[in-house]
Amino acid sequence: MVNLTIDGKQVTVSKTATIYEAAKEAGIYIPVLCYAKKLLPYGACRVCLVEVEQMKGRLIPSCTTPVTEGMVVTTMSDEIRKVRKTVMEFLLVNHVLDCPVCDKGGECDLQDLSYEYEVVSNRFEGEKFDLPKDEINPLIERNMNRCVLCGKCVRVCDEVVGYGSYSFINRGFETKIATAFDRGLNCEFCGQCVSMCPVGAILPRPFKFKARPWQLKEIDSVCGYCGNGCTITLGTKDNEVQTIRFNDKTGVNDGNLCIRGRFGYSYVNSDQKLTKPLVRRDGQLVETSWEGAMQAVTDGFNSAGDSVGIISGARLTNEELFLLKNYGKALGTENLDHSGGECYKGVTEGLKETLGIQASTGTFPQVENCDAILSIRSDFYETHPVFGMVVNQSVRRNEGKLTVIADKLGKFTKLPNARTLLHKPGLELNLLNAISAVLIEEGLAKTEGVEGLDALKDALKDYSADAVAAATGVDAEAIKQTARELAAAENAAILLAYGLPYTAYSKELGIAAANLSLLTGIAGRQGSGLYLCGEKANSQGAIDLGILPGANGLGAQQMLTDAAGGKLKALYMVGEDPVVSYPDRSLVEQALENTFLVVQDMFLTETAKKADVVLPAVSFAEKNGTFTNAERRIQKVRKGIQSKGEAKTDFAILQQLLKAAGKDVPVDEAAAFAALAAATPGYEGVSLEMVGPQGYVWGGDILKPETANLIPVAGGKAVDSKYQLLTGSALYHSGTVSTKAKGPSAVVAEAYIEVCREDAAELGLEEGDLLKLKAEGGELKAKVKVDRRLPKGVFFAPYHFSDMELNRVYSGQPVIAVEPVK
Amino acid sequence: MFKEFAKGLSITLKHLLPGNTTTVQYPKEKLQMSPRFRGLHRLVPTADREKCVACYLCPTVCPAKCITVESAENEKGEKYPKVYKIDLLRCIFCGYCVEACPIEAIEMTDAYELANYKRGQFMFDKERLLKN
Repeated sequence: MVNLTIDGKQVTVSKTATIYEAAKEAGIYIPVLCYAKKLLPYGACRVCLVEVEQMKGRLIPSCTTPVTEGMVVTTMSDEIRKVRKTVMEFLLVNHVLDCPVCDKGGECDLQDLSYEYEVVSNRFEGEKFDLPKDEINPLIERNMNRCVLCGKCVRVCDEVVGYGSYSFINRGFETKIATAFDRGLNCEFCGQCVSMCPVGAILPRPFKFKARPWQLKEIDSVCGYCGNGCTITLGTKDNEVQTIRFNDKTGVNDGNLCIRGRFGYSYVNSDQKLTKPLVRRDGQLVETSWEGAMQAVTDGFNSAGDSVGIISGARLTNEELFLLKNYGKALGTENLDHSGGECYKGVTEGLKETLGIQASTGTFPQVENCDAILSIRSDFYETHPVFGMVVNQSVRRNEGKLTVIADKLGKFTKLPNARTLLHKPGLELNLLNAISAVLIEEGLAKTEGVEGLDALKDALKDYSADAVAAATGVDAEAIKQTARELAAAENAAILLAYGLPYTAYSKELGIAAANLSLLTGIAGRQGSGLYLCGEKANSQGAIDLGILPGANGLGAQQMLTDAAGGKLKALYMVGEDPVVSYPDRSLVEQALENTFLVVQDMFLTETAKKADVVLPAVSFAEKNGTFTNAERRIQKVRKGIQSKGEAKTDFAILQQLLKAAGKDVPVDEAAAFAALAAATPGYEGVSLEMVGPQGYVWGGDILKPETANLIPVAGGKAVDSKYQLLTGSALYHSGTVSTKAKGPSAVVAEAYIEVCREDAAELGLEEGDLLKLKAEGGELKAKVKVDRRLPKGVFFAPYHFSDMELNRVYSGQPVIAVEPVK
Repeated sequence: MFKEFAKGLSITLKHLLPGNTTTVQYPKEKLQMSPRFRGLHRLVPTADREKCVACYLCPTVCPAKCITVESAENEKGEKYPKVYKIDLLRCIFCGYCVEACPIEAIEMTDAYELANYKRGQFMFDKERLLKN
């Protein structure tokens, strides 16, 4: 710790702090333009100049100067004021004064500082910039005439996102921020630059000219897309979510968001949303009253008796899931499941059998300080982009070693300390086994208190690094090196994402990852962790609350199979669109045809079109409740806008259904939370008051494993086909909802098949050509996207789009053998 | 005493003579308004559009909350007021809107004869305000 004096105040701060940070901690205000908490000090704007007694004769930039013992700092004097005003005048020489039409007006740092320092005239004269605006892309509008060259966009894109879209070009007065070759922006469109820009040079295009900042009502909520659980602040006006506001004060995401979180909100305001209940009469879905719909649901379920199956989405709040579980009990059925059924088995069964828990063991911020990170099954960045940014910072800033086990290259492949074990599709397990084998063989494994070591040793005989290397096409030395790094690391993390398109080997991968976490000793160790991250906003909550098949109940896949075979009479789908997103579309369709189907959703989805009763539900922005993210953090979802038409929250609908079934129901969400906290393991004693701005992590920062069982798992088998198709999640989309949002759809509007350059050349394909693939079960066609991240012979297709009918050929297998058709 | 009385009355009587009255025979006669008079608002037009760029400062500053603005983007990519309405029944003619306007797009004219028969007539939309 270092002691210094700022404006006569004694301050004690850590020795790594800068003067600006020390002042901020002491509550002393210093103006800044180019400083941002999450970026490295830069010192571009010279607005934060202060006087330091020990460095007399010149002014010192406070944001880049580290504190030293005994420093005496003055943050304001006549001279400082004069100099800062001059700096402002310099900045305003070229800055166009179009505040009336600039959307930043009202929250512009430059505007605020001009006001504060009364810069009403300028002693200097210069040309105003007249640079062309970048209005080509749909999401981010750049107007470089307003730029003050603080470099925040350059730095955030490089340091945090790891994409590196921007750079300074030219020199002197001509300096400007530009993209590669000064072309239009063509990036991930995460909008981090938008959130960082202190002026109106980079603005969100969907919000262009919509409202002034002061007109917006701000509501802190949680993003409804992936399991990362980023806090977002809704900016609402006229009962619509107008934009997502920057907020780095709440939650774990530090103000970082991805394209879905920042630009994927428009489905909330969509006029396609259902506003009235529908029932099927004479084969047609017709509008009806709530009473009529409720009656139809009750009658239908009553006549089905206990032969009812309930499948829920994982974007319902904990409170709603709790009511849903109670409703299952009221109906007398144990056939209850959520999101796919198979995909989360790595957590519910894999982790349960090995570690005795059903959740990740650590929290996200810890990963930033990890020395070694193992990311399993493709790049983590695509599934949980903001967690990916944490991984990026660990590698870039703290020199963590990253190993990605994947069947395609990812963004992190390019990082300096990253290594990608690029294997043949479907062989992740073999690599994990090989790493375990190396750990045991080289005596690096921590075997104290671990059970089942001998059985594992036996089973791993076939998985020596060399054998696996030969089978998977990965360098044996790289496998060994990975094992050594994981064992040597003081803090290490193993990451595995699960979700609907990753059904294959779900349980086995969970077990293999848990084995590895036991052998390296990271499970339950301070600063380390095993992270199994769910695809949807409340995947972890659904598992915590037990939205899972009961002892005699059926899982989602079995329910659908039984329903297709006529053994199940009724299905209740809450916030789920299995026709599009579940494996084996034909089976799902048949199941839905053969049953009395109730669908509760926001939109008339493909599934809802087949329903007997459709109940209109609302989005996350229209409800109160809590989500539990993939690191067990319970966070509050708050209502930002009133729902349109007669649509109701899932909570209200389930309340009504429970009442109709003659059960007691909690009066509101808060009462439901109290009830669920009392009934859910891990949530005991948690009250809504404890869920603060940073949420509340149940089980604490480190969740200790209850058991330590090593369980051998057999490796996967490679598919012997010249061309193979992988499916998965695309960075721009999440589930099927994001396809209804304008932002993500503006960038990736339709299904595509990603092809590597070599294959494209061989097959004579170019970007945008139509590619037809034949596979067992049907054909597939979509436009080609040529990329360089796939190995030869491997195609990739995202699962989000209905039109593609990917699940005609995808039935849960790890990799699909395909044949291109001319 | 009588003398003083007569003197005072003479001043009064003098004012009764033609040419000395201050009464204006409204509506036959009308006064020339001061240039600073705050009457009905006017949106200033330019060659092809209104000068207003929908910066929202007037509805923000308006103490009576009588101005409604909705901004939008026109074909040229410029910001313009898709809706600009003043509810004169609420307006208190304080002139803050004029003062707040950064580009002098709104003015106050000398029109004060604003009585009307229907409430709807007091709602001045963009077209009416541009014509004033």
